[in-house]
Amino acid sequence: MHLILVGLSHKTAPIEIRERLTFPAHRQAEALAALTSDPAVAEAVIISTCNRTEIYAVASVEEGVDAVINFMAEFHSLDRHELVRSLYINHGESVVRHLFRVVASLDSMVIGEAQILGQVKEAYDHALNNGATGKIFNKLFRQSFEVGKRVRTETEIGENAVSVSYAAIELAKKVFDTLEGRTILVLGAGKMSELTAKHLVSQGVKSVLVANRTFERARELAERFNGEAIRYDDLYERMRDADIVISSTAATHYVITKEHVAQSMRGRGGRPLFLIDIAVPRDIEPAVNDLSNVFLYDIDDLSGVVESNLEERMREARRAELIIDEEFSAFSRWRESLEVQPTVAAIRARADIIRRSELEKACKRLGSLSDKELQTIDALTCAIVNKMLHGPTQRLKHAAEAKDGYEYIETARHLYGLDESEGRGHGKLRDLLTKRAKDVSETTGNEIGDSLGC
Amino acid sequence: MAQVAVILFWFATLLYVSATVLYAYFFLSKRAAYSWYATFFTGAGFLCHTASIGLRSSAEGGTSLGGPNTLVLLAWALVLLYFVMEHLVKVKVYGTLLVPVSLVLMAASQLMTVKVGAVSPLVENWKIGIHVALIVFANAGFFIAGVGALAYLVQESQLKRHRTNVLFKRLPSLTNIDLLTRRAVAFAFPAYTGGLLLGVFRAIETDPPGWWADPRVMLAGLVWIIFGTYIGLHYTQRASARTTAWMALAGVLVVTVLAIVARTVPAGFHVFGL
Repeated sequence: MHLILVGLSHKTAPIEIRERLTFPAHRQAEALAALTSDPAVAEAVIISTCNRTEIYAVASVEEGVDAVINFMAEFHSLDRHELVRSLYINHGESVVRHLFRVVASLDSMVIGEAQILGQVKEAYDHALNNGATGKIFNKLFRQSFEVGKRVRTETEIGENAVSVSYAAIELAKKVFDTLEGRTILVLGAGKMSELTAKHLVSQGVKSVLVANRTFERARELAERFNGEAIRYDDLYERMRDADIVISSTAATHYVITKEHVAQSMRGRGGRPLFLIDIAVPRDIEPAVNDLSNVFLYDIDDLSGVVESNLEERMREARRAELIIDEEFSAFSRWRESLEVQPTVAAIRARADIIRRSELEKACKRLGSLSDKELQTIDALTCAIVNKMLHGPTQRLKHAAEAKDGYEYIETARHLYGLDESEGRGHGKLRDLLTKRAKDVSETTGNEIGDSLGC
Repeated sequence: MAQVAVILFWFATLLYVSATVLYAYFFLSKRAAYSWYATFFTGAGFLCHTASIGLRSSAEGGTSLGGPNTLVLLAWALVLLYFVMEHLVKVKVYGTLLVPVSLVLMAASQLMTVKVGAVSPLVENWKIGIHVALIVFANAGFFIAGVGALAYLVQESQLKRHRTNVLFKRLPSLTNIDLLTRRAVAFAFPAYTGGLLLGVFRAIETDPPGWWADPRVMLAGLVWIIFGTYIGLHYTQRASARTTAWMALAGVLVVTVLAIVARTVPAGFHVFGL
């Protein structure tokens, strides 16, 4: 049994394929039941978002991947060969690293986006509630949430706006601190100004004024924000009330000039004015930015901010990778403890330490023995230990191949007290065991654990 | 006791140095843990600083009001006001800007020590004690305003030039900085006025010759006029925040001359010899 991942994302499949392979919340129970009913699959979690569909499974080495691909094809009635072309398949440790990168939003379309952590949590909850997870996935996914949390708190991966609308908000906040209680003036009832206004309103803007050449359109847009439509002729007069102006008209000349703004700035009580010009050609004369307490950003300036923020996110992504490395090592250490070979080696090492210690005591009691006698006693103790351990280790190796094999390994580790020795036991004994297990592992290769080499 | 006071003074300085380094690292990395440590070191430095002042006063039978000790008191008042301010506005970045100023004042108190003339016996009066205390706290407030004004001008320049560098990202918003500057001046100006009035009353009482032509008195008057104008312009909204920020900077420059540079010139700069 090992970890596998079969999936597709915005990087490997176009929207036409991604939309055919979704697992919405209401179908997750059915999908998970179908998937885990396959004898090759022990645990499964299905992550399904608009940008990715990924099936994580603890499955048999030989049949696991086929089982998952067959399930995907059958569940969505897709042609298997066509489907395979869009899929990526990961095994073992790369699955862990991939999941950690996904949760840290390093694999997202927009690096640093915040939604993915919640989406993975939701997918895990579905699997947990439907009994599709076990010891390995419970540990893996909980640790992945820790990764997501650490990346968001220890880096600034999600802090800088990477869309024009959010960049405008970020800049406005650098002027006003908070947008609560502010007034925005939307000039032009186009889609872009509506979108930007929508984001600003979500930040607590108090009132929205809308001006448009066609008053009816201004009224329509104003109604959407519970705002006020104003006559185009009153535009410069009402600009005095505004803290933020968003302009996006189809005019081919400057609609707002330096003179207009200079007039509006009189009698504003020293309040700053932030202007966002997202029109091409521009609506606001660039010289407006020279006025005191006036800050003008056009579409290129905003794009520049977005670009700089994206670079910042890339830098933060490198820091996030370091966190992932740390967490990956921690998970690998835990998982290694569930591997059969290190476990058998540790049992053998423990037995050998006991054998040697008892042999030494016996030799002291027996007094002077010839070399031949010593060799005979040494061989005898080796043979006893080997024979005692041969059966259990063989059966353990065999059992480990089964669906719930890690439970046997865990039981064996518990019975022999290996975790106690390795993790919490006396330092000297732990070191000795680790060294001995390493020696045994290195000298015997594939035959590990079958003899003590004596 | 005097020796312990000196040791504590250097401990405080060392702790402020550590805090400055941590604040700088926090400013660049924005890792909250460093700001916590920086605040902790500043707090520990402040306690040592307070103990040092207290022990020195006990050892000398009163707090010295002249020469470098006024700078030590000013550094102490600045840290105290910073803690009050941080409690009110909850913006840790100001620590990055203000703790180094305290550190510079501590260093200046040692580096710029010069022989001053004998202190006039006329200062042996409660009015002068309160006069110095008020001026020290007012100066600390003016330094906060000066740092705020500088931060405002830097941030405004970043916004005007459409720059999004580390300074832009770390400094607070214009509104926040302007509010801090205004509050600092609003606190410092009445204290300064009270301090000056007490000094003037004492001067009239004792009537030392030519006290009104004393360069420090005249410069203090200039500081009062600058910050008075600042308050007037701000509250009548007749000047932009940028203009008033420049005014605050000019005011702090004169305060620096009074608090530091004036200490280095020969006695006679102030009729009371302080």
